[in-house]
Amino acid sequence: MSSNHWMMFSTFAEQRHFVYPTRDTYHGIILNANMAAHAPDGIARFILTKTYQQRYIIDPMTHAFQHDPRHITDSEGTVKRSIMKMAQEYGELITNNLGKRPLLPSMLKDEGECKDFVESCLNFQKSHISQRIETSEDAKYINFDEQDGTAPKPFALIAPYFYMKEATASLWLDINVKLAELTVKQKEDIPIFGMLVLSQGILLNNTLVNKIVEKFKSISLDGFLIWIDDLNEALAEESHLKGLISLGRKLRAISGSKQVINLHGGYFSVLATSEKLSVSALSGVCHGPEFGEYRAVIPVGGGIPIARYYIPLLHQRIRYREAAAILNEMGFLQDARTFHDKVCECPECRNTIDNNPDNFTLFGESNVKLVKRGSGLARMEYPTPRTKLRCLQHYLERKRIEYEFASTASIEQLKGDLNSGCEQFKEIIGLDQVSHLETWQQCLGD
Amino acid sequence: MIQYRKLMMTTTSTICEDDLIQAITAFFSKNGYRVRHEVPNMGQSIDLAATKNRWITAVEAKLHDWTRGLKQCKAHELVADYICIAVATQNISDRLRDQALLNGYGIIRWDNRKSVCQWIERPKRNEKVWLAQRRQFSRNLRGIEYVE
Repeated sequence: MSSNHWMMFSTFAEQRHFVYPTRDTYHGIILNANMAAHAPDGIARFILTKTYQQRYIIDPMTHAFQHDPRHITDSEGTVKRSIMKMAQEYGELITNNLGKRPLLPSMLKDEGECKDFVESCLNFQKSHISQRIETSEDAKYINFDEQDGTAPKPFALIAPYFYMKEATASLWLDINVKLAELTVKQKEDIPIFGMLVLSQGILLNNTLVNKIVEKFKSISLDGFLIWIDDLNEALAEESHLKGLISLGRKLRAISGSKQVINLHGGYFSVLATSEKLSVSALSGVCHGPEFGEYRAVIPVGGGIPIARYYIPLLHQRIRYREAAAILNEMGFLQDARTFHDKVCECPECRNTIDNNPDNFTLFGESNVKLVKRGSGLARMEYPTPRTKLRCLQHYLERKRIEYEFASTASIEQLKGDLNSGCEQFKEIIGLDQVSHLETWQQCLGD
Repeated sequence: MIQYRKLMMTTTSTICEDDLIQAITAFFSKNGYRVRHEVPNMGQSIDLAATKNRWITAVEAKLHDWTRGLKQCKAHELVADYICIAVATQNISDRLRDQALLNGYGIIRWDNRKSVCQWIERPKRNEKVWLAQRRQFSRNLRGIEYVE
């Protein structure tokens, strides 16, 4: 197990992936509060049967109430059930305007109301799932004595938080700090983490970053979760990535080098957990089963599902058609041995390729369906369930390898791996498509 | 406004993409090809796939955004022996011609005024076909009816 590896729970359909490749792959899991509120028995069962050995944290998702209410309502304006249940747990401060008006900083002025909000938010995280675990049918198979005779409690409790961008930080920062202070005052036996959800622009504003860090410095938090809005590390500029490293290091410094977990991070963030760096910027990084290496704070719609293959040396999920074209052009699909030597030899790839490189097509296998488009019908391809599973299991295998590699490899090895990807692929896909590997090296070198 | 005028001057404005596809279909059919429309290929769709004997020609029809058309052509390199972009502009831009030549793609132009389809550049044989994917594509192709 790598102590830097966290996985994000999203839907019950994904439960089995939390024990893949092995039951102990992940250090911990992160659950969204709306899921926990909506289906506590299911979550309790999931923890008991799948991830009992792992830690869990419930993200209170309080930022959901500050955005345009359309994001938490359905097309008829009714608040989504999971959000409604979560809001009811948090009390009147949240439910008063739920689905009608966004929560504004001015609504969080009253000390007493804020205290109640914090208390409800903490109680929810502390007890909502652990109580269900205790009363669950599956609990009889678990020996709670290993955990002081009680059901597993969250690894940390998260202070309520709100999203800040450069233009709004002056309004939300003091609120966020106040909520964190009130949370710490209620600390019992479970560590308290702060959560910073920031725009990318803030990373470039050193004065503002210092101000945020300085404000949180005075609170005895045990760690932080961070989430930078929609920061795709493969597309990000060097300045943003350096900003992320800098923020992580500053937060680790004020929390006594304890936990700073990036809620949505890719391989660059994983590299930033390396103890071999002069100062590692992060203690952990979270991702979902083939999603969530970056995520927008305000959710955007999905689109047609498409098979993507994770190319290990590029540390990126690439559309199957592009991955196949690249690997074919590089001659890596000539024979199975070349494929495993040059691309991937994880168990999923060995199983799928099965000594025949033509079987790489199985990572893109799809069914054709007729769908309505405009005034007519169009043929669209949808990856088969087996294709999705192959791509996902290969992805999870590679992620496990990456997290372990970042934990154990020397700086030279880490940089050598990035350099190798850059050198091998630039001739085929061009510098622009591999430049992230160069950028990552630059950022880690400082 | 300037951009719109430019567009009006360079495109045959009364034609839509479906008309262009019909014109290209007739062009290939007349030359002994069997034509299918909207053929799925690895999550994308080929506007027109023309087959003759064992050869497959993929055609992307574009009224305006030919740069997007070129990107779509790229995805067809794993499966098609010949790849073309079909346009309905009065003039063929040097950039389109250069890019097509560089990649070995053909250019077909439909002149709506004269109702004539003509080769501007003939495609070169695509050497990047990956037979495993081609077989997959051929299976998909068989499930789609020809266009008359």
